Amino acid sequence: MTLSSDGTGASFGRQADRYTFSVKIDPALVSKVSALASLDLTDTERRAMAEQLSRVVEFFEALKDIPEELLEDSESSRVLSLRTDEAGGCLDPAVVESNAPEFAHGHFVVPRVVTRDGPS
Amino acid sequence: MRGESPADLLDGSFLEVARAVAAGRTTARALAELALSRVAKAQSAFGAFISTDPAATLREADAVDRRARAGEPLPLAGVPLAVKDNINVAGRPSTAGSAILAGFVSPDNATCVARLVAAGAVVVGKTNCDAFGMGSSNENSAFGPVKNPWNPGRVPGGSSGGSAAAVAARAVPLSIGTDTGGSVRQPAAFCGLVGWKPTYGRVSRYGLIAFASSFDQAGALTRSVDEAARAFSVMAGVDPKDATSLSTPVPEVESDPPPDLRGRKVGLLAEAESPAGAEGGGLHPDVKASFEEAGETLRSAGAVVTAVSVPRVRFAVPVYYLTATAEASSNLARFDGVRYGARKGDSSLAALYRETRSAGFGPEVKRRILLGTFALSAGYHDAYYGRAQRVRALLARDFAEAFREVDVILCPTSPEPAFALGAKTDDPLAMYLADVFTVPASLAGLPAVSVPSGFSRDGLPIGMQFIGPGDTEPLLFAFARVLEGASGALARRAPGAVS
Repeated sequence: MTLSSDGTGASFGRQADRYTFSVKIDPALVSKVSALASLDLTDTERRAMAEQLSRVVEFFEALKDIPEELLEDSESSRVLSLRTDEAGGCLDPAVVESNAPEFAHGHFVVPRVVTRDGPS
Repeated sequence: MRGESPADLLDGSFLEVARAVAAGRTTARALAELALSRVAKAQSAFGAFISTDPAATLREADAVDRRARAGEPLPLAGVPLAVKDNINVAGRPSTAGSAILAGFVSPDNATCVARLVAAGAVVVGKTNCDAFGMGSSNENSAFGPVKNPWNPGRVPGGSSGGSAAAVAARAVPLSIGTDTGGSVRQPAAFCGLVGWKPTYGRVSRYGLIAFASSFDQAGALTRSVDEAARAFSVMAGVDPKDATSLSTPVPEVESDPPPDLRGRKVGLLAEAESPAGAEGGGLHPDVKASFEEAGETLRSAGAVVTAVSVPRVRFAVPVYYLTATAEASSNLARFDGVRYGARKGDSSLAALYRETRSAGFGPEVKRRILLGTFALSAGYHDAYYGRAQRVRALLARDFAEAFREVDVILCPTSPEPAFALGAKTDDPLAMYLADVFTVPASLAGLPAVSVPSGFSRDGLPIGMQFIGPGDTEPLLFAFARVLEGASGALARRAPGAVS
């Protein structure tokens, strides 16, 4: 069975059997993406994520079967309308401080980021 | 005739609770005391709650009693309310079900909470949920899973599983949750409740801990449609604090008489017969039977029932999980250990970010952040996120086409009744496919109401979902009342209900 020309064929439910990976989600790619997301993963986590995300992304490949001419460009397909972006009120600094892990002299405290030799 | 003891009132409609408190026949304090006792039992039996603050609850109940005595009109006078823990309540912790927000106390009320409290509702607890609203079974919470009061071996649905279990267990008559891709509607279906998501923008998102901002909406879970409509009336309205808040008039959902349904057209979703990715290629037989029966019930009520196709609904799960996770990867970047919540690691700023996030986020949240980061990353953006956004628009056009033929669309809320705890935890794709009927309305920003339609052969609730064009909530609630009346669900009590 194949999907119909408008991507609505009844075989969609079996697509996971039909598609081959166009992107290989391997532990190396998971490492690269996890670095972008500031997440450390153990080797076990990395392998499990690679296996699970491969299945998920393979399933998503079906979107490629929808003909290009049916799709508008993303600018004209915007779903949301937004009000004017205007500055509003701010939280009381004392409330902000009460939730901060570390706070001093009106600032959030973080590990040193600049040293005599430049950025740490 | 039902009595007016707090126990009788909490077992009935909260509309009667509000009338009794307003008339001085009972007090918000008496109801709050009983609700707090039931909350403790529901927590013990089903893990439905994350936190309570009994002293604050009783203080707020006393304030409602004073307002009621002063004659202030309070449409929710003394109604005990449970709030999903990713919605802010001033002065109370908000964890969003995640360890990374340990210690965070909300500085103010979410707008929807403020509106409910202004109407006389009394917050009795914060409910358990999948971390950051990411899950369909409430098994992704740092505070443990939630069990279904209809069968403790089954999930309550997710991500608002604690909110659903709290109402099904009769700890409270009203709870609120967030619905990003079905997180109010699917738990409502699994727990025999009414659950709704509004037209996008109708209820403020201010004070909701963001997951995917172009989808996130607040909704309510109740035992009856009339209570659902009252919650909508109170929660809906423009809010300058939410950039996407609608400023058009709120539809009237409590009109008397309700909309006449004779001659109205209901489209049974054609794609519901073979949901995408369903094992075995179709609906659970009991859900299928209930779907067919619902069509007959609506026809008997005078509606014109026909089949309608929304062709690209078959692609809704991939589109949703690409776009929502992309938004999540951006929204959850704020959890870095600097301004609030847990903190770990101090060797460098980058290490602080990594160690805090790695220790604080659970496996499903990490999985979705990785998926979203992948979909947005250079080299993959156009093929995945960009294409998904364009298919999202196509799906919205499909719905618009369908609504030229019918007034509302009916489909099951879930392809199956509540599944067993642990049944899908090792298979993320199977878990994502549980959302196949709820994500389409989320993608198109449409209002939807899940209502009990019957029970499976093994006694589990089944829910049907009405989807309409924007601002058709009055029609959706009116249709939901028809199925509610025929299902007999209101007369049934979950075996695990507390007293």
